[in-house]
Amino acid sequence: MGKIIFVCLFVLTKLISSEIDVSNSTILQNKCLSCHKSGQIPDELIYRRYLMVYSTQERMENAIFVYMKNPNKKNSVMHHPFFFKFPMKKKSNLDDETLRKMINAYLVKFDIKSKFIEMDK
Amino acid sequence: MLKSEKKSLIRFLLIYLLSTFFLFALAGIMFYNYEREHILDKQKDRLGHQAQNIKTQIRTLHNTFGETLVYPSSELLDSAIYDSDKNYIMGTYKQLKVLDEGKLETSGNRLFHISKVEPYYLGAAYLLVTKEIDQTLLWELQKSIYLFMLIAGVFFLILGIFLGRLFIAPMKSSMEKMNRFIEDTTHELNTPIGTILANIEILESSDKYGTSDELNRIEIASKTLSRIYDDLTYLTFNHKYNKSIEHLNVSVVLKERVAYFSSMAAIKQLTFDVNIEENIYLDIDNNDLLRVIDNLISNAIKYNEVAGKIEVCLTNISLLVRDTGIGISKKDIEVISQRFKRANDSEGGFGLGLDIINEIVMYYDYVLEINSTLKVGTTMEIRWER
Repeated sequence: MGKIIFVCLFVLTKLISSEIDVSNSTILQNKCLSCHKSGQIPDELIYRRYLMVYSTQERMENAIFVYMKNPNKKNSVMHHPFFFKFPMKKKSNLDDETLRKMINAYLVKFDIKSKFIEMDK
Repeated sequence: MLKSEKKSLIRFLLIYLLSTFFLFALAGIMFYNYEREHILDKQKDRLGHQAQNIKTQIRTLHNTFGETLVYPSSELLDSAIYDSDKNYIMGTYKQLKVLDEGKLETSGNRLFHISKVEPYYLGAAYLLVTKEIDQTLLWELQKSIYLFMLIAGVFFLILGIFLGRLFIAPMKSSMEKMNRFIEDTTHELNTPIGTILANIEILESSDKYGTSDELNRIEIASKTLSRIYDDLTYLTFNHKYNKSIEHLNVSVVLKERVAYFSSMAAIKQLTFDVNIEENIYLDIDNNDLLRVIDNLISNAIKYNEVAGKIEVCLTNISLLVRDTGIGISKKDIEVISQRFKRANDSEGGFGLGLDIINEIVMYYDYVLEINSTLKVGTTMEIRWER
């Protein structure tokens, strides 16, 4: 009986978390990436740039958060010529919690760990 | 080569070779460790170059955009990348999930090389490159050292034998001179002693001198001289003559020798208490039997008190000679026993007699037992049946 309850709880938790992931991904798509797409802003290039400068997920999240709260060249990791081609983003009007969720969803979407494959020796 | 020379040479060689081996082993270990570090440093340098190649590939990969990223791999080595918090990102070496630089460098049979990646391509702040140590060169090195030690060992063995013989040469020469002198002297003593004893017998048979005290004393002195001569001959020529083992009637020989020593005992007014079982036979060389009996009885006479007693007892188990003399202290008995254990180191103080007895007892695998109390007497017993 205990086992059945445990399995049910586990499946439920998984479902909820995947549901949350899916909903976060959808919100990200609607609230962020749709504008990027229309403006032809290279999402993955920006991710790689942050990755190259900050290395860890946590530091990248903080850096992007700071930039989103106060977007300017100083807070951005992109080269200055980048802003000749692409406009500077407007300050985010999302609350902190939602913003952090969106940043996380962004980092998960382009996470390189999930892209790695190992070549046979 | 004499037994003692051989022994000295072997001892010298052992000490010489062991100390040489110890020094060479020490030098060999130090050389091996030095060369091993050198070989490993070279392999580490090569690993460093290979790490640079991987970094270039990581940089290229960083600028590749696609659904998948193929991590660079090689048959020769394994690698892994870590973020700035030293957490594992990706790699072909999967055993370290968190980078701990302090414990690496060489671990077991692997070499490790850690370098920083700047900027953090693919988020990698550290690149770990590792491969198994190439043991071939180390085995080659070990083989060379063993071969060198073998050649050096043979060389130093030959040198040691040569040096040993060189050092022993003066001692050998003096010993040979001494032996020759003793042999010559012993040989020269034979004739006068024989002549004296023969003439004493003639005089004893004549009416004029037959019972004189002077003649008796000369006879005793001559017999003592004769016994010393026999002992000396035994010790000097013992190693040169072959023993002739016979089935001898010890009872008869013992009675003869007691009679022979009776005149010597009479001077000290000693009385014999003889208890000899008839027809006790032993397989022994005649000269050896005489030397044992003569030395046991002559010691009992020499170290006895005036008007003392000598007990001679022969059974099928043992020969026992007991005197009522000055005795030997426990400490001295221990010294004698130690001396016998060390197979007769030439220490003086106890005469030739005990050495000869012990030598014969050891040869025939008998057992010599000495019991003595100071101022009470000494019992010497030789047991041939254990």
